[in-house]
Amino acid sequence: MTSNTPKPAVRTVQDAVDTNASFETETHSDVADHESVLDISKFSLWYGQARALYDVSMSIPRGKVTALIGPSGCGKSTLLRSVNRLNDLVSIVRTEGEMMLNNRSIYDPSVDVISLRKRVGMVFQKSNPFPMSIFENVIYPLRISGERKKSVLKETCERALRSAAIWDEVKDRLNESALGLSGGQQQRLCIARAVAVEPEVLLMDEPCSALDPIATAKIEELIHDIAGRYTVLIVTHNMQQASRVSDFTAFMYLGRLVEYGTTSQIFQTPKLSETEQYVTGRFG
Amino acid sequence: MSRKPNATTHQMELPPTPLQARGVAATWVTGLALVLCTVMILGLLGMIVIGGGKTFWQRPIDSVQLQSGEQLLGMEYRRESRPGASDRVLYRVGNRDLGQQPFKWVEIDSIDSVLEPADAVLLERQEWGIWLGVPERIYEINESGDIADIAIGSEAVLEVLGEQLKLASTRRAEANALRSGPIADINDRLERLRLSELEAQLRVTGNNRPHHLGWGLWWAVIAALVIAILGAVRIGHPLAKRSLVIISLLAVLVGYTERPWAGRPWTQEQFETHKAEVEEQRTILTTEFRELSNELVALEQDDARFRIEVRDLATGQFAPISRSQMSEPMKISQILRVVQANEIGLGGKAKLYLARWWDFLTDDPREANTEGGVFPVIVGTLLVTIMLTIAVVPLGVLAALYMREYAKQGAMISILRVAINNLAGVPSIVYGVFGLGFFCYGIGGVIDGGTDPSLVLRVGQWWVLVLVIAAMLFFVLALSGREKQGKKSLLIFGLWSGVALLSVIAVFSTPYFEGFFQAKLLDGSPTFGTSGLLWASLTLALLTLPVVIVSAEEAIAAVPASLREGSYGCGASKWQTIQRVVLPGAMPGIMTGAILAMARGAGEVAPLMIVGAVKLAPELPFEDRFPFIFADRSFMHLGFHIFDLGFKSPDSEAARGYVWTTTLLLVTLVVMMNLIAIRIRTKLKARFVSGQF
Ligand SMILES: Nc1ncnc2c1ncn2[C@@H]1O[C@H](COP(=O)(O)OP(=O)(O)OP(=O)(O)O)[C@@H](O)[C@H]1O
Ligand SMILES: [Mg+2]
Repeated sequence: MTSNTPKPAVRTVQDAVDTNASFETETHSDVADHESVLDISKFSLWYGQARALYDVSMSIPRGKVTALIGPSGCGKSTLLRSVNRLNDLVSIVRTEGEMMLNNRSIYDPSVDVISLRKRVGMVFQKSNPFPMSIFENVIYPLRISGERKKSVLKETCERALRSAAIWDEVKDRLNESALGLSGGQQQRLCIARAVAVEPEVLLMDEPCSALDPIATAKIEELIHDIAGRYTVLIVTHNMQQASRVSDFTAFMYLGRLVEYGTTSQIFQTPKLSETEQYVTGRFG
Repeated sequence: MSRKPNATTHQMELPPTPLQARGVAATWVTGLALVLCTVMILGLLGMIVIGGGKTFWQRPIDSVQLQSGEQLLGMEYRRESRPGASDRVLYRVGNRDLGQQPFKWVEIDSIDSVLEPADAVLLERQEWGIWLGVPERIYEINESGDIADIAIGSEAVLEVLGEQLKLASTRRAEANALRSGPIADINDRLERLRLSELEAQLRVTGNNRPHHLGWGLWWAVIAALVIAILGAVRIGHPLAKRSLVIISLLAVLVGYTERPWAGRPWTQEQFETHKAEVEEQRTILTTEFRELSNELVALEQDDARFRIEVRDLATGQFAPISRSQMSEPMKISQILRVVQANEIGLGGKAKLYLARWWDFLTDDPREANTEGGVFPVIVGTLLVTIMLTIAVVPLGVLAALYMREYAKQGAMISILRVAINNLAGVPSIVYGVFGLGFFCYGIGGVIDGGTDPSLVLRVGQWWVLVLVIAAMLFFVLALSGREKQGKKSLLIFGLWSGVALLSVIAVFSTPYFEGFFQAKLLDGSPTFGTSGLLWASLTLALLTLPVVIVSAEEAIAAVPASLREGSYGCGASKWQTIQRVVLPGAMPGIMTGAILAMARGAGEVAPLMIVGAVKLAPELPFEDRFPFIFADRSFMHLGFHIFDLGFKSPDSEAARGYVWTTTLLLVTLVVMMNLIAIRIRTKLKARFVSGQF
């Protein structure tokens, strides 16, 4: 709240929505105990005239899995895509506020977007392997940075595929087209591609929504395994999934970050009724 | 269950279903239309296949006894029934050197009897078309001028003829090797000597062009280049590397137009020395030429000793050595093939048929294209198609890339898109006229003879222009070091187009550029300043550009956004994304465009008539010496060849068969090229687009 509004004008989320104002996030104290890798402060985003994010502030703890939940259209993907500035590709987007990755600004005009995107990997809702061999897919980020050494490429490929728990399935067919893999394998391949250059943050936008339960279980297990090594920011519509894989959870609603805390806090002792209604499936 | 219409009153009274609503009529009409289309297409293909297929089939040689007592030897070509008159038969009688029409109508009523004599033969000859007759004698003229018979009587002659033909063809091959080998080589060198003399002349008299900058200015240019390069390197962007290429190209261009190595105009003394050298070489070559000619004459004289008499039945005249020497029997080596048509049987005919097709595909044309083969025509067609594809595909794809990936989607780009689509509908002859004016006379003229030396842009101004360009390049590079959006990218685009425009102006208005083929031009034979393979390919490329742009654009647009985002998400730049993800994904669609362009280009005739296809090209545009493809030469083209055979031939009856075979060949060629391209496309598709899940 700024100084010229002495008492908070907005008390509930609904009030904020009605007055088209931002909402002060209910942040549980445990979040602050962790060292953060990504700090978002008062970040707003507009698609042309339409505002999609309202002064979102949160800090993402290093080496943990943070889940973003919320009803459809609340801006989860938008927030995620703001972290690696993928929204720059949309010409009508305008932003305000700040994001700091390891205390270095993301939106500063002098930032090299390309190297930023190499530090922030992303996995999309629909798996999107490139029309090339499995090997070329995994080392794509290295190829585009001009890495030519065969040994480095091979090593990276194997390491990334092992991290994505798909090495054993594809090690004999690295030179075959990636499009011949199953949906679940393709998604894990995309994860391998995202971790090939050891990103500081891994963004995942509903990585399991197009997969069957077994493939989903594999990916969840994988997220478990890589947590710690990477900071993961994951969007999901599946409450069970959020509670299974994440350490922290943030609930978003209509462009506002409503409540943010550890996963157990959000799911068991939420402070706001909207959050409770949503996580228990009575709302949204 | 039957029921009277009015029995149940509670049911609503419906009018009978109208005919068109039942759909029966529609079924019939649409079905008929389809049948009609199919019949027409199949009919077209069938006609081409049958017409082209039967041309080389050997028919029997008839000996026709007329009631008037006349006799003639001919092959029945076609029959015609006429209302109110008796039927008639068209016989192909050949023997054109007798001064007769090679085709003769004979009324059926006037025929007494028709025989198929076993000893009647058909000669396929080097000149004057076929000869039909009965062989009577083969003989040799000795060194002393005496005649020594080798065989007398048709049976004996036919027995030894095979052997004799083989010997004759060896003699012919020997002479031909001499002609096309060393003799052609010497001619070539003599021609080059003559050109070098002309060039020397030009260097003495000068050509009113300002020569040569001083060394001071050269240093200034070099310094400017170095600064530009250093600047580019310092920016350290990948674009900088590319700019290096651009700058070095620019340097080469400047270097060539300025030609610091060409030196000052020659003094009279230098010219005299050069001339003496040329003269000396010429004497050597001329002597050599004379020796070789003598050798050739000796070979030909030896060859002329072997003669054959094949008598025409109607006149009793034997096939002559030439039209002016009717009393001399022909040389054996003038015969290409002897066919004893009534004796060879089905197997022999089939073999002959294949051999004729082979000759057709591999020989040069003879007798105003109505005989011989179409090898140079096939080569010309293939070359022009390949070159047009090479020219149009990259250009079209780049344009489509800009329209889809870089340009702001708005009114401007929509208008452009409509314009491009409409361009596809412009009649092809218009492109031909444009090609002649723009490529041949415009650009070709400058390549040949250089720019007009009296141009307004003078030395000083030109260098200012170069420096401005260098500065702009530098500036643009500095700007495009990072990805920019909105107004700034417009600025960059404006600058780039400005630079491009200035470069064109600079090249075309520099008074320095004196052309690459000035001597030849002064000699009266333009090299690129006239129609030829290169300009024809570029004209066709322009013609097919809309097709390629449209299909490439569609293919590029069809690459899913998720792939692009994936690539950007990995930290790829825009160009890297295009190069590694968008283009490979769009490849099958781009190939489709290329196929369409090829098919259209290969079949086009109208513009080719204007910009380079000729009735008879003296040389192939392809040779096994550097630079392999001689893009300035005129060429032959199947489409134009068909037109020429069908409508421009002096003897349309004789050309008829060749029209069909050539058409069949063109259709086969286009189908084959398409099949190859479709195969490649299927392969690419299998690689890039495969089912998920
Ligand atoms: N490219 C765009 N142009 C204009 N508006 C957009 C664009 N992308 C998203 N929006 C709008 O921004 C808002 C937030 O969208 P976003 O995709 O971030 O929601 P989400 O939370 O990811 O929803 P879901 O769970 O359905 O994926 C929506 O109202 C949407 O309509
Ligand atoms: Mg989303």
